[in-house]
Amino acid sequence: MDDEINFLETLRALFTSWSKNSWQIECASSADQALEILKTRPFELIVVDVNMPVLDGEQFLRILARRYPDLKKAAITGHATEERRSACLASGAELFIEKPRSAEGLKSVFTMLDELVTWKQQTGFQGMLRRVGLQDVIQMECLGRNSSLLEVQDRQLTGRIYIEDGRIIHAVAGEATGEPAFQQLLSLAGGAFQLQPFEAPPQRTIEGQWEFLLMEAARVRDESSTQTPATEPVAEPGPPPAFEAPAPAPDFSLHVAETLICSGQGTLLYQWQCSDVRARVALMVEIAQQAARVGRLLSLGKFDRLEIQLPASRAVAQVKPDRMVFVQVATKTGNS
Amino acid sequence: MNDTLNQWFANCALTPGILGCGVRLPDGNCMSQSFNDSCPRERLDQSLQSLGDCLSSFPAHGLVPRWLTWTFEQGQLRIALRPDGFLLGLAIQPNSPAAENLDLLTEEFLALNLTD
Repeated sequence: MDDEINFLETLRALFTSWSKNSWQIECASSADQALEILKTRPFELIVVDVNMPVLDGEQFLRILARRYPDLKKAAITGHATEERRSACLASGAELFIEKPRSAEGLKSVFTMLDELVTWKQQTGFQGMLRRVGLQDVIQMECLGRNSSLLEVQDRQLTGRIYIEDGRIIHAVAGEATGEPAFQQLLSLAGGAFQLQPFEAPPQRTIEGQWEFLLMEAARVRDESSTQTPATEPVAEPGPPPAFEAPAPAPDFSLHVAETLICSGQGTLLYQWQCSDVRARVALMVEIAQQAARVGRLLSLGKFDRLEIQLPASRAVAQVKPDRMVFVQVATKTGNS
Repeated sequence: MNDTLNQWFANCALTPGILGCGVRLPDGNCMSQSFNDSCPRERLDQSLQSLGDCLSSFPAHGLVPRWLTWTFEQGQLRIALRPDGFLLGLAIQPNSPAAENLDLLTEEFLALNLTD
Protein backbone atom coordinates (compact mmCIF):
# COMPACT_ATOMS: atom_id res chain seq x y z
CA MET A 1 0.00 0.00 0.00
CA ASP A 2 1.51 3.29 -1.09
CA ASP A 3 0.14 6.56 -2.45
CA GLU A 4 2.92 6.64 -5.07
CA ILE A 5 1.31 4.66 -7.90
CA ASN A 6 4.47 4.54 -9.99
CA PHE A 7 6.46 3.06 -7.13
CA LEU A 8 3.74 0.42 -6.65
CA GLU A 9 3.75 -0.57 -10.31
CA THR A 10 7.54 -0.82 -10.37
CA LEU A 11 7.47 -3.08 -7.31
CA ARG A 12 4.71 -5.24 -8.74
CA ALA A 13 6.64 -5.84 -11.98
CA LEU A 14 9.98 -6.54 -10.29
CA PHE A 15 8.65 -8.71 -7.43
CA THR A 16 6.50 -10.78 -9.81
CA SER A 17 9.54 -11.40 -11.96
CA TRP A 18 11.94 -12.18 -9.07
CA SER A 19 9.43 -14.55 -7.49
CA LYS A 20 9.09 -16.36 -10.85
CA ASN A 21 5.37 -15.54 -10.76
CA SER A 22 4.87 -17.32 -7.43
CA TRP A 23 3.79 -14.05 -5.78
CA GLN A 24 0.33 -12.69 -6.52
CA ILE A 25 0.46 -8.98 -5.83
CA GLU A 26 -2.40 -6.54 -5.26
CA CYS A 27 -1.74 -2.80 -5.07
CA ALA A 28 -3.68 -0.23 -3.04
CA SER A 29 -3.14 3.52 -2.92
CA SER A 30 -5.03 4.11 0.34
CA ALA A 31 -5.91 2.37 3.59
CA ASP A 32 -9.59 1.93 2.75
CA GLN A 33 -8.71 0.44 -0.63
CA ALA A 34 -6.28 -1.95 1.08
CA LEU A 35 -8.97 -3.00 3.57
CA GLU A 36 -11.41 -3.68 0.73
CA ILE A 37 -8.82 -5.87 -1.03
CA LEU A 38 -8.04 -7.75 2.19
CA LYS A 39 -11.71 -8.70 2.48
CA THR A 40 -11.70 -10.45 -0.91
CA ARG A 41 -9.36 -13.36 -0.04
CA PRO A 42 -6.63 -14.42 2.39
CA PHE A 43 -3.24 -12.70 2.06
CA GLU A 44 0.09 -13.69 3.56
CA LEU A 45 1.84 -10.34 3.61
CA ILE A 46 1.09 -6.64 3.42
CA VAL A 47 3.66 -3.92 2.86
CA VAL A 48 2.50 -0.55 4.21
CA ASP A 49 3.90 2.87 3.42
CA VAL A 50 4.25 4.68 6.73
CA ASN A 51 3.70 8.18 5.32
CA MET A 52 0.13 8.05 4.13
CA PRO A 53 -2.45 10.83 4.10
CA VAL A 54 -5.63 10.56 6.23
CA LEU A 55 -4.68 7.41 8.12
CA ASP A 56 -0.98 7.12 8.85
CA GLY A 57 0.83 3.81 8.55
CA GLU A 58 1.22 3.24 12.30
CA GLN A 59 -2.52 3.52 12.94
CA PHE A 60 -3.20 1.33 9.95
CA LEU A 61 -0.76 -1.30 11.24
CA ARG A 62 -2.58 -1.35 14.58
CA ILE A 63 -5.92 -1.89 12.84
CA LEU A 64 -4.39 -4.68 10.76
CA ALA A 65 -2.92 -6.31 13.88
CA ARG A 66 -6.40 -6.51 15.38
CA ARG A 67 -8.40 -7.47 12.32
CA TYR A 68 -5.85 -9.75 10.67
CA PRO A 69 -3.57 -11.08 13.42
CA ASP A 70 -2.14 -13.81 11.15
CA LEU A 71 -1.25 -11.42 8.33
CA LYS A 72 2.46 -10.61 8.17
CA LYS A 73 3.15 -6.91 8.05
CA ALA A 74 6.09 -4.88 6.74
CA ALA A 75 6.37 -1.10 7.06
CA ILE A 76 8.25 0.87 4.42
CA THR A 77 9.25 4.53 4.43
CA GLY A 78 11.41 7.01 2.61
CA HIS A 79 12.32 8.75 5.87
CA ALA A 80 13.48 6.11 8.30
CA THR A 81 14.18 7.16 11.87
CA GLU A 82 14.73 5.09 14.98
CA GLU A 83 11.56 6.48 16.55
CA ARG A 84 9.46 5.59 13.54
CA ARG A 85 11.01 2.14 13.40
CA SER A 86 10.17 1.50 17.07
CA ALA A 87 6.63 2.81 16.61
CA CYS A 88 5.98 0.59 13.57
CA LEU A 89 7.35 -2.53 15.24
CA ALA A 90 5.29 -1.76 18.34
CA SER A 91 2.23 -1.37 16.14
CA GLY A 92 2.57 -4.90 14.81
CA ALA A 93 5.00 -4.72 11.89
CA GLU A 94 7.40 -7.64 11.68
CA LEU A 95 9.74 -5.75 9.37
CA PHE A 96 10.69 -2.08 8.97
CA ILE A 97 12.32 -1.13 5.67
CA GLU A 98 13.73 2.08 4.23
CA LYS A 99 12.65 2.68 0.64
CA PRO A 100 15.57 1.66 -1.57
CA ARG A 101 17.01 4.03 -4.12
CA SER A 102 18.54 1.41 -6.46
CA ALA A 103 17.66 -1.86 -8.17
CA GLU A 104 20.09 -3.68 -5.85
CA GLY A 105 18.26 -2.20 -2.89
CA LEU A 106 14.93 -3.39 -4.28
CA LYS A 107 16.32 -6.91 -4.71
CA SER A 108 17.43 -6.82 -1.08
CA VAL A 109 13.91 -5.74 -0.03
CA PHE A 110 12.43 -8.58 -2.06
CA THR A 111 14.72 -11.10 -0.37
CA MET A 112 13.75 -9.82 3.09
CA LEU A 113 10.03 -9.96 2.29
CA ASP A 114 10.41 -13.44 0.79
CA GLU A 115 12.10 -14.56 4.02
CA LEU A 116 9.29 -13.02 6.04
CA VAL A 117 6.64 -14.84 3.99
CA THR A 118 8.34 -18.22 4.29
CA TRP A 119 9.27 -17.80 7.96
CA LYS A 120 7.07 -19.86 10.23
CA GLN A 121 6.75 -18.72 13.78
CA GLN A 122 7.83 -21.36 16.26
CA THR A 123 4.95 -22.40 18.46
CA GLY A 124 5.23 -23.52 22.07
CA PHE A 125 8.09 -22.71 24.39
CA GLN A 126 10.96 -24.51 25.91
CA GLY A 127 12.71 -24.54 29.22
CA MET A 128 14.67 -26.63 31.67
CA LEU A 129 13.15 -28.87 34.26
CA ARG A 130 15.61 -28.01 36.99
CA ARG A 131 14.37 -24.42 36.86
CA VAL A 132 10.73 -25.07 36.11
CA GLY A 133 8.76 -27.67 37.99
CA LEU A 134 7.00 -29.86 35.48
CA GLN A 135 4.00 -29.91 37.80
CA ASP A 136 3.87 -26.08 37.60
CA VAL A 137 3.49 -26.18 33.83
CA ILE A 138 0.89 -28.95 34.01
CA GLN A 139 -1.10 -26.99 36.61
CA MET A 140 -1.15 -23.90 34.43
CA GLU A 141 -2.18 -25.88 31.35
CA CYS A 142 -4.97 -27.66 33.23
CA LEU A 143 -6.24 -24.53 34.96
CA GLY A 144 -6.22 -22.70 31.65
CA ARG A 145 -8.17 -25.59 30.09
CA ASN A 146 -5.55 -25.76 27.39
CA SER A 147 -4.83 -28.59 25.01
CA SER A 148 -1.15 -29.30 24.62
CA LEU A 149 1.51 -31.93 24.35
CA LEU A 150 4.34 -31.82 26.86
CA GLU A 151 7.49 -33.56 25.65
CA VAL A 152 9.85 -34.41 28.48
CA GLN A 153 13.40 -35.66 28.20
CA ASP A 154 16.23 -36.39 30.57
CA ARG A 155 19.50 -38.24 29.89
CA GLN A 156 17.90 -41.69 30.01
CA LEU A 157 14.18 -41.21 29.53
CA THR A 158 11.90 -39.62 26.97
CA GLY A 159 8.19 -39.16 27.55
CA ARG A 160 5.06 -37.32 26.55
CA ILE A 161 2.09 -36.02 28.50
CA TYR A 162 -1.11 -35.29 26.57
CA ILE A 163 -3.43 -32.60 27.95
CA GLU A 164 -6.80 -32.03 26.31
CA ASP A 165 -9.11 -29.19 27.42
CA GLY A 166 -7.34 -29.09 30.79
CA ARG A 167 -7.54 -32.85 31.38
CA ILE A 168 -4.56 -35.18 31.44
CA ILE A 169 -5.60 -37.98 29.08
CA HIS A 170 -2.45 -39.94 28.30
CA ALA A 171 1.19 -40.26 29.25
CA VAL A 172 4.03 -42.34 27.93
CA ALA A 173 7.53 -42.67 29.38
CA GLY A 174 9.85 -45.16 27.73
CA GLU A 175 7.90 -48.43 27.72
CA ALA A 176 5.44 -47.31 30.40
CA THR A 177 2.05 -45.70 29.72
CA GLY A 178 -0.78 -44.24 31.79
CA GLU A 179 -0.45 -43.14 35.39
CA PRO A 180 2.85 -45.03 36.02
CA ALA A 181 4.38 -43.16 33.08
CA PHE A 182 2.97 -39.85 34.34
CA GLN A 183 4.43 -40.44 37.82
CA GLN A 184 7.77 -41.51 36.35
CA LEU A 185 8.02 -38.27 34.37
CA LEU A 186 7.09 -36.14 37.37
CA SER A 187 9.75 -37.90 39.45
CA LEU A 188 12.58 -36.75 37.17
CA ALA A 189 15.14 -34.65 39.00
CA GLY A 190 16.24 -32.76 35.88
CA GLY A 191 15.97 -32.64 32.13
CA ALA A 192 14.23 -30.55 29.55
CA PHE A 193 10.76 -30.12 28.18
CA GLN A 194 8.93 -28.58 25.26
CA LEU A 195 5.31 -27.54 25.28
CA GLN A 196 3.97 -28.41 21.85
CA PRO A 197 0.61 -27.89 20.15
CA PHE A 198 -1.82 -30.66 21.01
CA GLU A 199 -2.03 -33.76 18.88
CA ALA A 200 -4.35 -36.70 19.42
CA PRO A 201 -2.73 -39.48 21.45
CA PRO A 202 -2.57 -43.06 20.12
CA GLN A 203 -4.66 -44.11 23.15
CA ARG A 204 -6.25 -42.65 26.28
CA THR A 205 -4.86 -44.16 29.42
CA ILE A 206 -5.61 -41.58 32.14
CA GLU A 207 -9.01 -40.53 33.43
CA GLY A 208 -8.50 -39.09 36.93
CA GLN A 209 -8.75 -35.42 37.89
CA TRP A 210 -5.49 -33.60 37.36
CA GLU A 211 -5.37 -32.26 40.92
CA PHE A 212 -5.32 -35.77 42.37
CA LEU A 213 -2.92 -37.05 39.71
CA LEU A 214 -0.47 -34.32 40.68
CA MET A 215 -0.90 -35.01 44.39
CA GLU A 216 -0.35 -38.73 43.81
CA ALA A 217 2.73 -38.01 41.70
CA ALA A 218 4.08 -35.79 44.49
CA ARG A 219 3.53 -38.59 47.00
CA VAL A 220 5.30 -41.15 44.78
CA ARG A 221 8.15 -38.70 44.20
CA ASP A 222 8.56 -38.08 47.92
CA GLU A 223 8.60 -41.81 48.63
CA SER A 224 11.14 -42.57 45.93
CA SER A 225 13.40 -39.71 47.04
CA THR A 226 13.61 -41.16 50.59
CA GLN A 227 14.68 -44.49 49.05
CA THR A 228 17.38 -42.97 46.85
CA PRO A 229 20.84 -44.42 47.69
CA ALA A 230 23.38 -41.95 49.00
CA THR A 231 25.62 -42.70 46.04
CA GLU A 232 22.96 -41.54 43.55
CA PRO A 233 24.60 -38.83 41.47
CA VAL A 234 23.06 -35.40 41.89
CA ALA A 235 21.98 -33.67 38.72
CA GLU A 236 24.77 -31.31 37.81
CA PRO A 237 24.17 -27.85 36.50
CA GLY A 238 25.18 -27.74 32.88
CA PRO A 239 23.75 -27.56 29.41
CA PRO A 240 20.33 -29.11 29.01
CA PRO A 241 20.02 -32.30 26.96
CA ALA A 242 20.33 -31.53 23.28
CA PHE A 243 17.13 -30.37 21.66
CA GLU A 244 16.83 -29.59 18.03
CA ALA A 245 16.02 -26.02 18.89
CA PRO A 246 16.68 -23.16 16.50
CA ALA A 247 17.71 -20.77 19.26
CA PRO A 248 19.30 -21.02 22.72
CA ALA A 249 16.78 -22.04 25.35
CA PRO A 250 15.47 -19.06 27.32
CA ASP A 251 16.10 -19.07 31.03
CA PHE A 252 12.63 -19.54 32.49
CA SER A 253 12.28 -19.24 36.20
CA LEU A 254 8.76 -20.23 37.10
CA HIS A 255 7.52 -21.60 40.35
CA VAL A 256 4.24 -22.15 42.12
CA ALA A 257 4.08 -19.66 44.97
CA GLU A 258 0.78 -20.79 46.46
CA THR A 259 -1.90 -23.42 45.97
CA LEU A 260 -5.30 -23.80 47.59
CA ILE A 261 -8.08 -26.26 46.85
CA CYS A 262 -11.38 -26.14 48.69
CA SER A 263 -14.84 -27.59 48.21
CA GLY A 264 -17.60 -25.66 46.46
CA GLN A 265 -18.83 -24.61 49.90
CA GLY A 266 -15.42 -23.31 50.98
CA THR A 267 -14.17 -26.26 53.06
CA LEU A 268 -10.39 -26.48 52.80
CA LEU A 269 -9.19 -29.65 51.03
CA TYR A 270 -5.55 -28.83 50.35
CA GLN A 271 -3.26 -25.85 50.68
CA TRP A 272 0.40 -25.13 50.12
CA GLN A 273 2.19 -21.94 51.21
CA CYS A 274 -0.99 -19.94 51.82
CA SER A 275 -0.05 -17.27 54.33
CA ASP A 276 -3.67 -16.77 55.40
CA VAL A 277 -5.88 -19.70 54.44
CA ARG A 278 -9.08 -18.20 55.85
CA ALA A 279 -8.61 -14.96 53.92
CA ARG A 280 -7.85 -16.83 50.71
CA VAL A 281 -10.97 -18.99 51.06
CA ALA A 282 -12.96 -15.80 51.69
CA LEU A 283 -11.53 -14.34 48.47
CA MET A 284 -12.55 -17.46 46.54
CA VAL A 285 -16.09 -17.21 47.91
CA GLU A 286 -16.18 -13.52 46.94
CA ILE A 287 -14.99 -14.37 43.42
CA ALA A 288 -17.70 -17.04 43.13
CA GLN A 289 -20.40 -14.60 44.27
CA GLN A 290 -19.15 -11.88 41.93
CA ALA A 291 -19.06 -14.29 38.98
CA ALA A 292 -22.61 -15.39 39.73
CA ARG A 293 -23.76 -11.74 39.83
CA VAL A 294 -22.14 -10.93 36.48
CA GLY A 295 -23.45 -14.21 35.06
CA ARG A 296 -26.98 -13.01 35.83
CA LEU A 297 -26.34 -9.64 34.16
CA LEU A 298 -24.63 -10.76 30.95
CA SER A 299 -25.39 -13.74 28.74
CA LEU A 300 -21.93 -15.24 28.68
CA GLY A 301 -22.64 -18.77 29.90
CA LYS A 302 -21.17 -20.53 32.91
CA PHE A 303 -18.24 -19.03 34.77
CA ASP A 304 -14.97 -20.93 34.49
CA ARG A 305 -12.08 -19.00 36.00
CA LEU A 306 -10.59 -15.67 36.96
CA GLU A 307 -7.08 -14.88 35.82
CA ILE A 308 -5.25 -12.32 37.91
CA GLN A 309 -2.28 -10.61 36.26
CA LEU A 310 0.04 -9.33 38.97
CA PRO A 311 3.22 -7.27 38.50
CA ALA A 312 5.59 -10.24 38.90
CA SER A 313 3.28 -13.19 38.99
CA ARG A 314 0.02 -14.59 37.80
CA ALA A 315 -2.79 -16.32 39.61
CA VAL A 316 -5.75 -18.36 38.47
CA ALA A 317 -8.89 -18.86 40.53
CA GLN A 318 -11.15 -21.58 39.21
CA VAL A 319 -14.65 -21.89 40.60
CA LYS A 320 -16.72 -25.03 40.00
CA PRO A 321 -19.81 -26.28 41.84
CA ASP A 322 -17.77 -29.00 43.56
CA ARG A 323 -14.44 -27.25 44.06
CA MET A 324 -12.53 -23.98 44.04
CA VAL A 325 -8.86 -23.87 43.11
CA PHE A 326 -6.40 -21.00 43.53
CA VAL A 327 -2.86 -21.20 42.14
CA GLN A 328 -0.33 -18.38 42.09
CA VAL A 329 2.72 -18.77 39.89
CA ALA A 330 5.65 -16.39 40.06
CA THR A 331 7.49 -15.87 36.80
CA LYS A 332 10.78 -14.36 35.84
CA THR A 333 12.52 -14.56 32.48
CA GLY A 334 16.00 -13.69 31.44
CA ASN A 335 18.96 -15.00 29.48
CA SER A 336 21.19 -17.65 30.95
CA MET B 1 -16.42 12.80 26.78
CA ASN B 2 -12.68 12.89 26.52
CA ASP B 3 -11.78 12.83 22.80
CA THR B 4 -8.95 10.38 23.35
CA LEU B 5 -11.29 7.99 25.09
CA ASN B 6 -13.85 8.47 22.36
CA GLN B 7 -11.32 7.63 19.67
CA TRP B 8 -10.12 4.63 21.62
CA PHE B 9 -13.72 3.37 21.86
CA ALA B 10 -14.09 3.80 18.10
CA ASN B 11 -10.90 1.83 17.46
CA CYS B 12 -12.18 -0.90 19.77
CA ALA B 13 -15.29 -1.24 17.68
CA LEU B 14 -13.12 -2.17 14.68
CA THR B 15 -11.79 -5.26 16.41
CA PRO B 16 -13.83 -8.37 15.56
CA GLY B 17 -14.94 -10.21 18.68
CA ILE B 18 -15.60 -7.22 20.94
CA LEU B 19 -19.00 -7.76 22.56
CA GLY B 20 -18.97 -4.48 24.45
CA CYS B 21 -16.70 -2.08 26.21
CA GLY B 22 -17.02 0.47 28.94
CA VAL B 23 -15.13 2.81 31.20
CA ARG B 24 -15.94 3.81 34.76
CA LEU B 25 -14.78 7.37 35.25
CA PRO B 26 -13.03 8.51 38.42
CA ASP B 27 -16.30 10.22 39.49
CA GLY B 28 -18.04 6.83 39.45
CA ASN B 29 -20.09 7.36 36.31
CA CYS B 30 -19.95 4.64 33.67
CA MET B 31 -20.06 4.92 29.91
CA SER B 32 -20.43 1.73 27.94
CA GLN B 33 -21.00 0.67 24.38
CA SER B 34 -22.62 -2.60 23.41
CA PHE B 35 -21.77 -4.40 20.19
CA ASN B 36 -23.70 -7.59 20.90
CA ASP B 37 -27.08 -8.50 22.42
CA SER B 38 -25.37 -10.65 25.04
CA CYS B 39 -23.99 -7.50 26.66
CA PRO B 40 -26.65 -4.73 26.85
CA ARG B 41 -25.24 -1.32 27.72
CA GLU B 42 -27.05 -0.88 31.06
CA ARG B 43 -25.94 -4.32 32.21
CA LEU B 44 -22.38 -3.63 31.13
CA ASP B 45 -22.51 -0.54 33.33
CA GLN B 46 -23.75 -2.58 36.28
CA SER B 47 -21.14 -5.29 35.71
CA LEU B 48 -18.42 -2.67 35.50
CA GLN B 49 -19.49 -1.13 38.82
CA SER B 50 -19.63 -4.51 40.49
CA LEU B 51 -16.35 -5.86 39.12
CA GLY B 52 -14.63 -2.55 39.81
CA ASP B 53 -15.66 -2.77 43.46
CA CYS B 54 -14.43 -6.36 43.55
CA LEU B 55 -11.08 -5.35 42.04
CA SER B 56 -10.60 -2.71 44.70
CA SER B 57 -10.94 -5.39 47.39
CA PHE B 58 -7.96 -7.40 46.08
CA PRO B 59 -5.19 -5.35 47.75
CA ALA B 60 -6.68 -6.31 51.12
CA HIS B 61 -5.88 -9.91 50.13
CA GLY B 62 -2.27 -9.06 49.28
CA LEU B 63 -2.94 -8.96 45.53
CA VAL B 64 -2.49 -5.81 43.45
CA PRO B 65 -3.56 -6.86 39.95
CA ARG B 66 -2.55 -5.13 36.75
CA TRP B 67 -5.75 -6.56 35.36
CA LEU B 68 -8.33 -9.28 35.86
CA THR B 69 -9.82 -11.60 33.23
CA TRP B 70 -13.15 -13.17 34.10
CA THR B 71 -13.64 -16.14 31.78
CA PHE B 72 -17.10 -17.50 31.03
CA GLU B 73 -18.10 -20.17 28.51
CA GLN B 74 -19.06 -17.65 25.85
CA GLY B 75 -17.08 -14.59 26.72
CA GLN B 76 -14.34 -12.96 28.72
CA LEU B 77 -14.38 -9.75 30.71
CA ARG B 78 -11.13 -7.85 31.08
CA ILE B 79 -11.06 -5.37 33.95
CA ALA B 80 -8.13 -2.97 34.39
CA LEU B 81 -7.76 0.02 36.68
CA ARG B 82 -5.52 3.01 35.93
CA PRO B 83 -3.80 4.87 38.74
CA ASP B 84 -5.91 7.95 37.88
CA GLY B 85 -9.12 6.04 38.62
CA PHE B 86 -10.33 5.19 35.09
CA LEU B 87 -11.54 1.60 35.06
CA LEU B 88 -11.72 -0.39 31.82
CA GLY B 89 -14.20 -3.16 31.11
CA LEU B 90 -13.93 -5.11 27.86
CA ALA B 91 -16.25 -7.98 26.97
CA ILE B 92 -14.92 -10.18 24.21
CA GLN B 93 -15.64 -13.43 22.43
CA PRO B 94 -13.18 -16.26 23.07
CA ASN B 95 -10.97 -17.34 20.16
CA SER B 96 -11.47 -14.08 18.28
CA PRO B 97 -9.03 -11.39 17.10
CA ALA B 98 -10.16 -9.39 20.15
CA ALA B 99 -9.14 -12.26 22.43
CA GLU B 100 -5.75 -12.50 20.75
CA ASN B 101 -5.22 -8.76 21.17
CA LEU B 102 -6.71 -8.42 24.63
CA ASP B 103 -3.40 -7.60 26.32
CA LEU B 104 -2.55 -5.13 23.56
CA LEU B 105 -5.92 -3.37 23.92
CA THR B 106 -5.50 -3.23 27.68
CA GLU B 107 -1.99 -1.85 27.47
CA GLU B 108 -3.24 0.78 25.02
CA PHE B 109 -5.95 1.83 27.47
CA LEU B 110 -3.50 1.97 30.37
CA ALA B 111 -1.17 4.18 28.28
CA LEU B 112 -3.85 6.62 27.03
CA ASN B 113 -3.33 10.25 27.91
CA LEU B 114 -6.66 11.18 29.49
CA THR B 115 -5.67 14.40 31.18
CA ASP B 116 -7.63 16.64 28.77
